[in-house]
Amino acid sequence: MKIILDQIMPKPLASIPHGPESIWGKKIEIESSTHILLNASSGKGKSTFTSIVFGLRNDYSGDLYIDGRKSSTFTPTDWSNLRQRRISAVFQDLQLFPKLTVKENLILKNDITNTYQEEELLELLEHLEIGAKWEQNCGLLSMGQQQRVAIIRALAQPYEWLLLDEPFSHLDTENAQRCLELIHKRTTEQNAGFILTTLGNSHGYEFTHELKL
Amino acid sequence: MLNKVLFKNQERKQLVIAMIGAFLGITFLVMSIHYLIKVNEFGKGSDILGPNTIIVQKKVTPSTTIGLTKSDFSPREIEKIKSEKFVLDVKPVVSNNFNLWFETDDEHIPTFKTNLFIQTIDPSFLKANLEQWKWKEGDPSVPIILPRDFIVMMNTFASSAGFPQVSDELAMNANFKFMLSNKDGKKEWMKVKIIGFTSSVSAVLVPETFMQYGNENFANGEEQKISQIMISGKENEFGRIEELLTKKGLESKDAQMIVGRLKSMVGTLFFVVLCISVVAVFVSGLVLIQYMQLLISKNAYEIRTLMRIGYHPKTIVRKFFVYFLKVFGIVSAAGLICFLGCKYFLDEMFESGGVYIDKGITLWSVSAVLFAYVLFSLSSYFTAKKETFNAY
Repeated sequence: MKIILDQIMPKPLASIPHGPESIWGKKIEIESSTHILLNASSGKGKSTFTSIVFGLRNDYSGDLYIDGRKSSTFTPTDWSNLRQRRISAVFQDLQLFPKLTVKENLILKNDITNTYQEEELLELLEHLEIGAKWEQNCGLLSMGQQQRVAIIRALAQPYEWLLLDEPFSHLDTENAQRCLELIHKRTTEQNAGFILTTLGNSHGYEFTHELKL
Repeated sequence: MLNKVLFKNQERKQLVIAMIGAFLGITFLVMSIHYLIKVNEFGKGSDILGPNTIIVQKKVTPSTTIGLTKSDFSPREIEKIKSEKFVLDVKPVVSNNFNLWFETDDEHIPTFKTNLFIQTIDPSFLKANLEQWKWKEGDPSVPIILPRDFIVMMNTFASSAGFPQVSDELAMNANFKFMLSNKDGKKEWMKVKIIGFTSSVSAVLVPETFMQYGNENFANGEEQKISQIMISGKENEFGRIEELLTKKGLESKDAQMIVGRLKSMVGTLFFVVLCISVVAVFVSGLVLIQYMQLLISKNAYEIRTLMRIGYHPKTIVRKFFVYFLKVFGIVSAAGLICFLGCKYFLDEMFESGGVYIDKGITLWSVSAVLFAYVLFSLSSYFTAKKETFNAY
């Protein structure tokens, strides 16, 4: 899956000066199976980038192409199909259902993709040391625990691109490393690519490209 | 799971209130349509004349007796009545201008003979089989419609004379004959066939062609006067006909007037209930739709997140649509069941009060619920679609 950002400039960032390496306002092509690190300081548009690629925002100039098709022609159903089968994401605000249990949050996603068995989901949770939270409401978990649930949910589908918007911000190095290993394994299995946005700490992540904002 | 996400977060009290409103609206809607139809049907089929038809004549006063005022209707008077908005049609009732005897011609019924007064009315006022209601010179028998009082009188006579009484069926199968005559002694006998009975007319009714034949061949030479007319009024506007009769100094048979008056009153009452029910169903439907909008806007985060993790907007629209279809389905079914229960008790009450109405369920009342259901389904589908895509 090829993603092209053609002269994209988010409107809220248009008045801010951008460095010569910034991707904003330039033509960028990214192929799946590449591992990209998007490193920038706060307010430079990391979340804006993932939101644009994920089809959540359209307040920008320029064009986004996914597999040669202009994203402005996508219907909500087209985006749903992409999000179900081709692009997955871990949002900075996690987007979990706080009143549902961890199990329900994961099954809700897995129901439409049939990626894992219930036991496999539990094993993944145990691997990230939150297996005991299986029946607990997500709203009652710490931010670090919620981040791990959101990562497993993002992995519970086939994808060609995985967008990770500061997914380890509340995790200690050890847990971030475990998550990275899991992400790396699953992404490699599918010959997919992923984009990790971070505030500077690459968490030991081995990337093939680095993008600047 | 999806239901838990979308419907757990709702104000059930509000939903229950809207459902109760819709339930009451539906119940009264079905009930009012059903009984409005039944009231309008009341009296139909029991008489040979149409349901909103009365025969009127001018009131006989002392001045009529001494010849100062006329008791017959002029063509102008008939036209004036006909021009009233609530009057569908007016036709003269033509009487015989010749001598006529009616007598039995059958060994199975008591011998009976009487001088008779006959009338004819326009066939459009009759509900009789028009194929039977025909006569031409040379036909084997003259079809007639007999006043019900006539059979009662005949049976009273038979009873007092020790003869067996005559049922409607027997009378319709028995042989009778007419004897037409004039002052010059000219006479003619004709066989007669009873094809129906009426409680609305006091005279024996005959086809127009027979009356013409009699008046042409046996008339006593006097001018034919129209002393009675038939008025056919619009449904539920009988009160206005009554006003007209009072204004014009006309009168009709009491029974006809009472039935007409009651039908008009009860019909108006049910019509008012029907209007209120339509408003109630509309308002409660609107409340349910608003409730759906509120539910969707309260779940905006959930809807957005579901679509972000790959749920199709159509799946979410379908969930809301089906949920509200079920809600209105429950309301409609409960309304229909309640109507059937109330109908059972009301029919029993009517029956014990001596009012016999057909107990069948009217198609229109059930169709009204179906119509309301389809209307609600469509509006809930479009609302769910619009609101879900707005949340996106």
